[in-house]
Amino acid sequence: MRRRAFIGLLAAALPLAAARAADQVWHDVDVTGTSPSLDFVMQGTPFGQTRTQFDYRGFVTMMYLGYTFCPDVCPLTMQNVAAALAKTGKAAKHIRFLFVTVDPNRDTIPVLKAYVAGFGPEFVGLRGTPDQLAALAKRFHLAYSVSPSSDPAKYEVTHSSAIYVFDRVGNARLLVPSMASQKPDIDGLAADLVRLTTERPEGWFGWLRSLV
Amino acid sequence: MNEPLSTAPAAIPAKFDPLLVMTGLVLAVGTVLWWGDAVHPAEMPVFAPWDFSWIEYLGIALPLLWYLRGLTLTPAAERPHGLRQTAFLAGVALIWVTLQTHFVYLSQHMFFLNRLQHMGMHHLGPFLIALAWPGETLARGMPAAGLRLARARPIGAMLRVVQNPVVAGLLFVGLIWFWLIPNVHFHAMISPVLYTTMNLSMVIDGLLFWFFILDPRPAPPARHSYAVRLVTCILVIFPQLLLGAHLTFAMTPLYSYYDLCGRLFPSVSALLDQHLGGVIVWIPSSMMSSVAFMLMLNNIRLHEDRQNGGNNNDDIEIAPGVRISSRAWTGR
Repeated sequence: MRRRAFIGLLAAALPLAAARAADQVWHDVDVTGTSPSLDFVMQGTPFGQTRTQFDYRGFVTMMYLGYTFCPDVCPLTMQNVAAALAKTGKAAKHIRFLFVTVDPNRDTIPVLKAYVAGFGPEFVGLRGTPDQLAALAKRFHLAYSVSPSSDPAKYEVTHSSAIYVFDRVGNARLLVPSMASQKPDIDGLAADLVRLTTERPEGWFGWLRSLV
Repeated sequence: MNEPLSTAPAAIPAKFDPLLVMTGLVLAVGTVLWWGDAVHPAEMPVFAPWDFSWIEYLGIALPLLWYLRGLTLTPAAERPHGLRQTAFLAGVALIWVTLQTHFVYLSQHMFFLNRLQHMGMHHLGPFLIALAWPGETLARGMPAAGLRLARARPIGAMLRVVQNPVVAGLLFVGLIWFWLIPNVHFHAMISPVLYTTMNLSMVIDGLLFWFFILDPRPAPPARHSYAVRLVTCILVIFPQLLLGAHLTFAMTPLYSYYDLCGRLFPSVSALLDQHLGGVIVWIPSSMMSSVAFMLMLNNIRLHEDRQNGGNNNDDIEIAPGVRISSRAWTGR
């Protein structure tokens, strides 16, 4: 009787395990096919040169809105991403993290350069005009706001917490929930990033989609 | 003898078709908005589109143009009542606000504002437009080809199906439910294509439903009797109540999109945001049905009044030879 139950359990578990192995669930939120592809024009660190999405073709690219004066959320997020990158091993050289400042008034290129250098060589600071920043936020439905004040304590900045991840042809693939939460899934992010770097290019259809 | 009368207006030769000129103007304004939105999104005024869409822009601007032109072509005595004109303009303005202004940005970053947006584009806006009963005026102001298309047989057949009371009620409630399935809502909010699809489906369904409900005419020429429409209008309340209560009393946040892409007011928690949204689905949304119900009763009263008006068929004889004229209570 016990044996039959065991076999029944096995029979039930096998297809489940097979299905799981077949489409390998992502650790982060899958947005393949719904979110638009990477598209921006901004100044980048270290020299303030013009950067666009084409500079990151071939890289698995993360994009995150923040600001260098951010007291807690941004540094914590970036530390955790740096920890995940450390776990990706050799794959890290095919990964870039774009830190887009929502506070371009205070975050000049030298400020950004000094800030991102603290996290690792994969981190790039981006600074756009208000129009360039609004275009990016509109495209990816991200929220941000800045209420400047001469008193640093009253200078209020808000920004979205998620990280968008784009594959090597620039298509949006994942949304990483807040890396500044109580239990950030650092191993999950590392696994997802490695998987994206080893993914075979999707061919002409993926390329076509990256143009939209 | 009739000849001179009919040819008189044609005495002034028109160099340009005014409708063509006005349509060109609408396209020019659209091009400016599109360019401003693409190149200077941060400097656009709040009443300009946050995310410009040609379909939504033309879908709002052209009917508005046709309506205004239709009004000017209608003799003053036959024009719809000023209140109906106001209702039409207010309805169109509301749809503009909810689809093509910076309110869209706000509603993308707060669940309860998203619910308000949907109320505007699905309930209140189309309701006001249907209340204005603008068909005749629109038909007068539309280009002939557009009118032929609107009256084409396939369109009529489609309308017959979607304005069947069961289908209309199911669509009205089903679309609200469908776009609120957590997974569907998530992808609809991050995908530009799905987002536009969602908004357009809500506006179009709102128009179909309220035009079906608020038709002031009796069964023929209207498709369905007052009674059927009254029942449909009331039945759609209950699923909305259920959904609203479900969201209001849910103890777990269902819509992760707003956490991921950022809330407007970080001080409002995910659960509070969801509860506020639930209250909006629950109360004001279902209240629209009650308002429609009363307006329909008024339509019935006016219709019966027109049938009996002046012939004293509805007078009451309280004693032999003593009749009370219906004028005493109809205010005729």
